[in-house]
Amino acid sequence: MAKVFIVAEHRQGAIRDATYELVTLARELESKFALEPAAVVIGHGVRPFAEVLSRHVNETIMVENEALADFRYETYAAVLRDIIMKETPLVVLCPQSAFGMELFPRLSAETGRPCATDCVQVEMDGPSLVVVRSIYNGKINSRLAFASSGGYLITVRAGSYAPAAEADKAGTIRDYPCPAFGEPFKTEFLGYREAAAGTVDISQAPFLLSIGRGIKDTENIPKAEELAAKLGAVLSCSRPVVDKKWLGKERQVGTSGRTVKPKLYLAMGISGAFQHLAGIKGSGTFIAVNRDPKAPIFRAADYGVVEDMFKIMDALKEQIGT
Amino acid sequence: MEILVCVKKVPDTADAEVILRPDGKGIKEDDLAFGINEWDNYAVEEAIRIKEAHGGRVTVVTIGVSDSEDVLRRCLAMGADDAIMIDGGPFAGSDPYGIARGLRGIAAARAYDLVLAGAQAGDDGFGMVGPVLAGYLGWSHATLVTSVSVEDGKVAVTRELEGGLEERLRLALPAVLTVQTGINEPRYVSIMGIRKVRSKEIPVLDLAKVGLAAGSVGENANVLRRIALSVPPAGKEAEMIKGTPAEIARKILDIVRERGGVG
Ligand SMILES: Cc1cc2nc3c(=O)[nH]c(=O)nc-3n(C[C@H](O)[C@H](O)[C@H](O)COP(=O)(O)OP(=O)(O)OC[C@H]3O[C@@H](n4cnc5c(N)ncnc54)[C@H](O)[C@@H]3O)c2cc1C
Ligand SMILES: Nc1ncnc2c1ncn2[C@@H]1O[C@H](COP(=O)(O)O)[C@@H](O)[C@H]1O
Repeated sequence: MAKVFIVAEHRQGAIRDATYELVTLARELESKFALEPAAVVIGHGVRPFAEVLSRHVNETIMVENEALADFRYETYAAVLRDIIMKETPLVVLCPQSAFGMELFPRLSAETGRPCATDCVQVEMDGPSLVVVRSIYNGKINSRLAFASSGGYLITVRAGSYAPAAEADKAGTIRDYPCPAFGEPFKTEFLGYREAAAGTVDISQAPFLLSIGRGIKDTENIPKAEELAAKLGAVLSCSRPVVDKKWLGKERQVGTSGRTVKPKLYLAMGISGAFQHLAGIKGSGTFIAVNRDPKAPIFRAADYGVVEDMFKIMDALKEQIGT
Repeated sequence: MEILVCVKKVPDTADAEVILRPDGKGIKEDDLAFGINEWDNYAVEEAIRIKEAHGGRVTVVTIGVSDSEDVLRRCLAMGADDAIMIDGGPFAGSDPYGIARGLRGIAAARAYDLVLAGAQAGDDGFGMVGPVLAGYLGWSHATLVTSVSVEDGKVAVTRELEGGLEERLRLALPAVLTVQTGINEPRYVSIMGIRKVRSKEIPVLDLAKVGLAAGSVGENANVLRRIALSVPPAGKEAEMIKGTPAEIARKILDIVRERGGVG
């Protein structure tokens, strides 16, 4: 039976949530296309992770070695190369994350197995593997087929599949020998760096007014600040506003910023990239203002307003005044 | 430091209507505004800053057709020393492997210490060209780079992880780095600046010049084959609030009050 492998992502002593979304996808590939799911856990001190995954799939391949304590593409790709060549899985899945983006394209170049990144859907069409990717700022879906190959590498966009609930399978854990590395290493892990804590904690705010690239210019930031103050909201933003240094990093909502759970999220001039939306999962009411009726944010919001954000900002200020 | 920066011209689709071509294999490009890929702009700036601090040269390269020349000139105006165009004709419809093969020809033939690329292209970007190129070359790489400092024969970088966390790495040179947005503040390019580099010669290299055989790149050589494009299914749509701005504002404030907010 053809196999589908899930590469577990973990960092600083915890399995990362996206791994469980891959479990759901692997199960779907099992039920629809008869692929057999297995998990691959690589690292140091990872037996507890292997145990968790063994409750989800029949087999978990565990590669335990001190040299794997910190993630580097160099060592992890060497391990995966070995596993792929010996176990010949048809599909290997990994999250589209800083981990997957660093590892899978490189692994593809080194193994010759083709890779599709950032997929939102994966399925078989007869013998060939087909994926769907969301492109052009989420406005278009692209369906791609792979040229036939012995195996395929896929990274999956967060939120594309629901995370698997806790399971109680009695899967086996297989101790897989760590291959020898071709030292000296070219890469050296030096450590982690935590973002400096800012002056506000947007993750605790019950009401966020969030602005995106639509704010257009640093000169318009005070307008947004004033409106937030009038509304009793905390001001947050999408990534480009931080990249341009218009607001501090501590106000950024999204995968590489903060995860927030306000009772009310009022987004203006934000298109709705998945990295942004991933940061507001579990929020209460979500209102989006965007002048583009096709903006993907309207597929996620509860209420939508197609209008120039500056007109709405002015009107809100006026209405609060009266 | 000899630095090569890979740049791509892409359409702005965040703030524009995207219309499918009748054949369903692409989008209509006529009404879209094109410019340098956002990530690549940060990469060019970073390369120039490294050069300013440590000396050396910055070369920008694109695989594109003649209308990509303006993007290269913009990079020259920012301070890049040279620009190269690889004739994009044979690369039409190439997947990231084809693009990486084309860039490999340049990177391998000249003694670069660093190749910088964008972490992803904003159009249908895979975020693959950089690390695949590094794999082909056997060089070290780091993706999603948020800072670079040059050491003796090495570079120390930070990579962006999730939730505001970063990791620090040291890489042996030569290396390929893919640059994340926000790494720096790209300098402003004036019309005057672009005019100054107007007559700078930009060589156009054909397939043979980058060491590739005819037919080795382009749509027919792809391992990732586009079947069709489509508009995503509507799914759960937001309830639209309509009216004049004043009416909309009133409705928004009703919701705010309902949710216990001030107003
Ligand atoms: C690894 C990685 C991590 C990332 N992490 C994050 C993250 O944590 N958070 C995040 O936000 N992004 C993140 N991004 C970036 C993300 O992919 C998008 O690029 C970003 O979210 C876009 O921000 P935006 O919606 O403000 O801008 P755009 O996508 O440019 O959208 C601007 C929107 O404003 C609208 N608009 C313009 N003018 C007006 C006006 N006058 N009135 C009304 N509407 C207007 C436009 O129609 C458009 O929809 C990440 C990207 C990568 C690769
Ligand atoms: N046609 C091209 N010419 C030169 N560089 C490119 C081209 N396409 C992609 N790149 C580089 O590869 C990066 C990532 O592209 P992608 O893998 O398509 O997301 C871009 O940011 C560019 O630096």
